[in-house]
Amino acid sequence: MSSVSTAVRPFGGSLRELVARRRGLAKLVLLAVVAAVVVPLVNSRWGSGSWPAALTVDPSGSLGKASNWIIDNRDSSPVFLYFFGYVSYGVGYAVRGVYLVLLALGWTGVTAAATLLAWRFARLRVALTALVSLAACGALGMWVPTVQTLALMVVAVVASVAVGAVLGLAAGLSERMFRVLRPVLDTMQVLPAFAYLLPFVWIFGIGVPPAVLATVVYAAPPMARLTALGLRGADSGVLEAVTSLGATARQRLFTARLPLARGQLLLGVNQTIMMALSMAVIASVIGAGGLGDRVYQALSTVDVGNALAAGVPIVLLAVVLDRTTAAAGERVGAGGGAGVGSGGGASAGGSGGASGSGSGEGASGGASGSGSGGGASGRASGRASGGGGSAGGLRVWRVFGRGWVVWGALAGLVAGCAVLGRAFDSASWPGSWTVSIAAPVNSVVNWITGHLNSGVPVIGGTADWAAGFTTWVLDPVRDGLQGLPWWSVLLVVGALAWLIGTWRTALTAVLAMAAIGVLGVWSVSLDTLSQVLAALAVTLVVGVGVGIAAARSRRFEALLRPVLDVFQTMPQFVYLIPVVALFGAGRAAGAAAAVAYAVPAVVRITTQGLREVDPAAMEAARSLGATGGQQVRQVQLPLARPALLLAVNQAVVLVLAVVVIAGMIGGGALGYNVVFGLAQGDLATGLIGGTAIVCLGLMLDRVTQPVGKGR
Amino acid sequence: MSAVTSPVFAVRDLWKVFGPKADRIPGSPEADLSAEELRQRTGCTVAVRDVSFDVRKGEVFVVMGLSGSGKSTLVRCLTRLIEPTSGEIAIDGEDVRGMDAGRLRELRRHRAAMVFQHFGLLPHRTVLDNVAYGLEIQGTGKAQRRAKAAEMVEKVGLAGLEGRRPGQLSGGQQQRVGLARALAVDPEVLLFDEPFSALDPLIRRDMQEEVVRLHREEGRTMVFITHDLSEALRLGDRIALMRGGRIVQCGTPEEIVGAPADEYVRDFVRDVPREQVLTVRRAMRPAVGGEAETGPALSPGTLCSDAIEAVARTGGPVRVVEGGRCLGVVDHQALLSVVAGVSVASGPAAEKAVA
Repeated sequence: MSSVSTAVRPFGGSLRELVARRRGLAKLVLLAVVAAVVVPLVNSRWGSGSWPAALTVDPSGSLGKASNWIIDNRDSSPVFLYFFGYVSYGVGYAVRGVYLVLLALGWTGVTAAATLLAWRFARLRVALTALVSLAACGALGMWVPTVQTLALMVVAVVASVAVGAVLGLAAGLSERMFRVLRPVLDTMQVLPAFAYLLPFVWIFGIGVPPAVLATVVYAAPPMARLTALGLRGADSGVLEAVTSLGATARQRLFTARLPLARGQLLLGVNQTIMMALSMAVIASVIGAGGLGDRVYQALSTVDVGNALAAGVPIVLLAVVLDRTTAAAGERVGAGGGAGVGSGGGASAGGSGGASGSGSGEGASGGASGSGSGGGASGRASGRASGGGGSAGGLRVWRVFGRGWVVWGALAGLVAGCAVLGRAFDSASWPGSWTVSIAAPVNSVVNWITGHLNSGVPVIGGTADWAAGFTTWVLDPVRDGLQGLPWWSVLLVVGALAWLIGTWRTALTAVLAMAAIGVLGVWSVSLDTLSQVLAALAVTLVVGVGVGIAAARSRRFEALLRPVLDVFQTMPQFVYLIPVVALFGAGRAAGAAAAVAYAVPAVVRITTQGLREVDPAAMEAARSLGATGGQQVRQVQLPLARPALLLAVNQAVVLVLAVVVIAGMIGGGALGYNVVFGLAQGDLATGLIGGTAIVCLGLMLDRVTQPVGKGR
Repeated sequence: MSAVTSPVFAVRDLWKVFGPKADRIPGSPEADLSAEELRQRTGCTVAVRDVSFDVRKGEVFVVMGLSGSGKSTLVRCLTRLIEPTSGEIAIDGEDVRGMDAGRLRELRRHRAAMVFQHFGLLPHRTVLDNVAYGLEIQGTGKAQRRAKAAEMVEKVGLAGLEGRRPGQLSGGQQQRVGLARALAVDPEVLLFDEPFSALDPLIRRDMQEEVVRLHREEGRTMVFITHDLSEALRLGDRIALMRGGRIVQCGTPEEIVGAPADEYVRDFVRDVPREQVLTVRRAMRPAVGGEAETGPALSPGTLCSDAIEAVARTGGPVRVVEGGRCLGVVDHQALLSVVAGVSVASGPAAEKAVA
């Protein structure tokens, strides 16, 4: 490795002019020269094929010792007694406390609270959605798991928002802090959720506290990131004006910077909630309980019916939480006028991954999607606050209502509902009102297995497709990758990353890949990589294709939009349920889930990129008589190149996240290492797998990271 | 005039240099390099270069220059929104550069308020709360500051729009809010940084008249930055013309147009309708023979455009009279040379006016 980086420098100087003119070519030539020098040396020393054993370090022994030590000393070492212990108890008690409160409120109280909150923050329609959704959770017989998940969510979200806001404040106000935090946050956002679980299990064991903490660590970055960006992005003209009036630093922060960043802050809360839900569900693997656990248990016995019964409430929760917080963000955005419009379409923000696209998407999604709604509420709030006096009072209550009276009334209503529920002795959802969908769904699944899996004339069957995909795509790609000499993989990774990005990203990517080799999980990681690549190819073909279609047809886009909205709010975990039903367990099913999860983001970014192409250029092309196809190929796609690169980057991150989770449904590879480590208590295997996932994520992100992402 | 009142702002040898080790540039030989050379050699850019001027009480002092001439930097240096590199600034004799943070805040809160090109309004607040903002950070009570703000909103002609948000207003209305916000703190000096550049021409005209009206009513001292010559001529009691960070000429509109200090200024004012700026004091010639005794009389402050009418009507020279004494006469030739921009043989009286 070091030989590559040192060899680059002398060449870099002499080739500067050439590099300046034909960047890509020059880089390739340079790499070829380096390779020609280095490869024979490396080859003679360690040989080709898989990663040489001589270059591996096996940390499992020492990791095993360390985890044994932790298990032995968890109850005696002062570090655990006085720090981790308290953290663990605190988190545990908090979740328990919230859980008890929710239980005490009963289904009537919780449903009333959710509905009223949604009505307060959003519109009547969202409130109705909340009402119906919670009722559905109960009706599916999932009331208790739903409350468990909610309790965990409440604690995790409060902690994430607090931690994120503090970090974001620090990074927003201090340049140095920003420079330190930003790459860390950016990186954390591209790592698969699965990789976060192990370290917490390592320290805290299995249970609710590690699940909450992993969720906090996973969900806090978007809040921190958006807080920092919001504070830093404040209109400098406004800040100068505020300073010119003699405001102190504190006044500037509280009267200008924070209010100006409100849209971004609420977008941060929205993304944090969505990521927390996604993680809270996945964390069922480490004992989070609740809905995710039901899905996990059901999936492990391929009981699709029960998995679906728990999966539907997850989706409903996601939709309610997203719509409510997004509507709150929209109102702030509209109330603040054009200046803070970015808060608008939080609903479009991807729940899955990097908010690099999340915020961008959000901005224009809101502008076009819910412009009318936002405008209406903006006008209303303008009028309401304008009155200021008694005449506007009622409207102030309804629309703006900061008053304690409103909150008091809402609390009273909720308490009333709770008491009413108690009075009828139904704190928990009445058993007679539940509908079991497990049996009918399972019979449908059986029918699918019997009729659609194979032998359907002409088109074959889903299982046949899965088998075909495995045999003709996944296996060859995996065998090909594993058959490549290890140094050539490094070279290809470096070359790709350098062509698309800078030598820095290339170096990170190569180092990450090398770390995988050093950890001794080279061929397993290549298996994961092969799944990612296969799923990525399908994702891009489908996503870009649909994206182009949506960009060309307004009607198609209008049809597509609500579908994408729902798809993008669903937690990763949920995607595993239908693919198991359709394709059975296995790698193909994992790839299918990954595709389903990543396609919406790609469609969205592609459509947006194409739509934002300079209309003057399009007009010029039309005036020259270009056909529709010519316009797409010669004008839109080239001009939308940055968006397409971003789409690839997003797709890679999202696909990896799901491919890894698919370890739970027979996807094998690194994800299975993690699951196996957790299930067998073999934390060393799990931790190494997790680390390899992190490295793979880093590598994939860096390879596909275009220069100047923010351009 | 200057003997009557001490200047509100007195600026001496002010420099602002951006870049590393900027404090070494003022007065050094590098300072005389061209901007390009200086940047290459030291990485520094000189925005304000050795500027000195006084702003007198009650006057509208206009700083004019093209973009990049350093005028916006200069006005920000006055209240240290941008920290000057060297030189002296005094407000009412008090050293501004020596002020500590608290004193400086006092200056910004009570003595000098600024109106910005891009308004700088808080988008999440209503018009009324924006106008009251300056008072709010001073710690004024809610009822009191709202009353004051309402008064200011009324004054700038926005009555009825108190509850709107900046995003719901037009550009001109937003700038009225900015103006009201500055006025609400009742500052000694109003600083305007190209306040109307972002507005449509017609609205700009309206706003300029608003400023003229305010100045007439209140007599507040104003420092007005603009790149628009006609705006400068319309509003300014005195104009400082900047180029490359330096003040190339400072004087009344008439002096700038009538006696440009150098080729650059001459170029700048070439298209100005001179007869609408210059007065007969500058156009007159000494009376010859009986001219001082007969014919209609004009005061020396009369604009040439008005004198043209008088001369055309009488057909002969017109006397310029001040306090019963005849200073000189203007005739066809003198007025035509003003219009044509041909240099007039200026008499001793004109020179006295310049001094």
